[in-house]
Amino acid sequence: MIRGISLAYGCYLLLPMVLLLIGSMGNSWTNTVLPTGLTARWYQELWLDTSFRKAFVTSLTVAVSACAINTVLALPLAYSLYHRSGRSGSWAARVVSAMPVAVPTITLGFGYLIVFNTDWLPWLGSLPLLIAAHIIYTLPYLTNTLLTDLKHLQLNALEDAAATLGASPWAQFSSVVLPNLRHSLLSGLVMVAALSVGEFGLSNLLTSFQFRTYPVVLLQAFYGATGFACAATVVLLLLAATSALISSGLGQKNVSHR
Amino acid sequence: MSLEFQNVSYHYPGTSQGLNDLSFSVNTGELVAVIGPSGSGKSTLLKLVSGLTTGHSGRIKLGGQDLANTPVHERNIGMVFQNYALFPHLNVLDNIAYGLKLRKVTKALRDAKAKALLDAVGMSAFADRAASQLSGGQQQRVALARALAIDPKALLLDEPLAALDASIRGQLRDQIREIQKRFNATTLLVTHDQEEALAMADRVAVLKDGCLLQLATPKDIYEQPVSSAVAQFVGLSTIYKGTVLAQDLVDVGFAKLVASTQHRVAGQTVHALIRPEHVQIDPLEITLNRMTGRVGAQRYLGSLSRFDFHVPGAATPLLGEARSLPTAAIAVAPEHICLLDS
Repeated sequence: MIRGISLAYGCYLLLPMVLLLIGSMGNSWTNTVLPTGLTARWYQELWLDTSFRKAFVTSLTVAVSACAINTVLALPLAYSLYHRSGRSGSWAARVVSAMPVAVPTITLGFGYLIVFNTDWLPWLGSLPLLIAAHIIYTLPYLTNTLLTDLKHLQLNALEDAAATLGASPWAQFSSVVLPNLRHSLLSGLVMVAALSVGEFGLSNLLTSFQFRTYPVVLLQAFYGATGFACAATVVLLLLAATSALISSGLGQKNVSHR
Repeated sequence: MSLEFQNVSYHYPGTSQGLNDLSFSVNTGELVAVIGPSGSGKSTLLKLVSGLTTGHSGRIKLGGQDLANTPVHERNIGMVFQNYALFPHLNVLDNIAYGLKLRKVTKALRDAKAKALLDAVGMSAFADRAASQLSGGQQQRVALARALAIDPKALLLDEPLAALDASIRGQLRDQIREIQKRFNATTLLVTHDQEEALAMADRVAVLKDGCLLQLATPKDIYEQPVSSAVAQFVGLSTIYKGTVLAQDLVDVGFAKLVASTQHRVAGQTVHALIRPEHVQIDPLEITLNRMTGRVGAQRYLGSLSRFDFHVPGAATPLLGEARSLPTAAIAVAPEHICLLDS
């Protein structure tokens, strides 16, 4: 029974991807179940299309920047939330955990539209604002991953041990906390990258023509040739799937490490 | 280096729990075990010495120097935790060398020292293992080596055997004691296991509600407790409240017992303490402090049996231990009835 449901779900999930892959290599796809002919020209066209190449670079820039800044923000945030749990921190931790579910990206996007489309703060459409929005969107995911690991590791006992052995608070953080969080940090960051690369709603509201992300440009591909749209989607899929696979791989390593 | 407590008090914010005016000292190389019921303050005491908890009044001095203004990482006091707290990202050798690395000792020197300590705790074959690959007993031996690696001025053992199986506990208890003696480490051991305290310590401190009830050698704590609270916590016993009738005669309600009343005067309230191993079974009729009755609950313990002996009129049964069970009478020799004032 469970196997049957899993199989059906797997087909439901995989079928569109398989069709995308087939479509991206089909010469023509109109009024037929499957495309006809075999070609690599859609990928070639995609490669030659400057707006896609630019969007790809923008998406990577945004994702890498979000990862870098998230690391700087999430580590101390998760660490202080962990140490304050039981006091006001536990409430703050719950808010952080619930944020991605409670606040849809569209809400965040509209908020940005209102605030940053004024004479005082005319930053709508700039790359830093786009990066900032992606950081806000992905930060809770990384913080949650780190927080879970901190609780699981019972790091305060290790910190106490390190302190009695002569480690200053900074040495405790750098020589005990950080090394023990490295797997969850990495898997959390890959998740941040995957989320950022695939994010559409927020980016669509906030980007200017100059800094469109890959999913935003991808939408336009669907107004053109089907094969081209499929090829463009496959690239995004590969990027996100690679990130997700690395992330889950790191997660597994994290578990077996214990 | 000696460890001194002078009028040390500490209270957890918003509670009455903590420590009340504690004064005692641990001599150089001595192992003092701190025992007491949950909430008696024994762990608090250890945390104050280590510096993991701060804000006490009074003085805690190590080698004559007040620790109040020294942060935990500058105290150089080794600590062994109940749950080992080995660093999971380091192998056994690097765990032991951790404190030395912080002290900027060269790799060659710290590895050599870590290996020597591993050897001392009988774990030299495990240098490259991850901490998670070791059993509880092995982890605790590594934790001990790690604490000793920094040449600590004092050693704090926080229930080091509590998380281990009974079969390992006895063995490791002896090993810790032997190593502690070899390193001449001034040691404070916190435990809830009174047998562990009696077996390992030079002296035992009994705490209750944050107050020091008694500090004495294991023998004195067991045989001459200062109060019924100490007696009840250390070892098994039966305690009857009574009144001194005359010189060396005490009335406990259901019997008149002959016991050394020492300086006490007639009419004074006392508590008569009787340890189970001092209960004689089926004594001759002329025996002093002979009491007739019947055996109640009995527990077979292998080498001997422990039994409740119900004497008519007694509120609680008398706990006894013997190779066989009494049929109708027991007795307690006068020298084995210990009278306590409170």
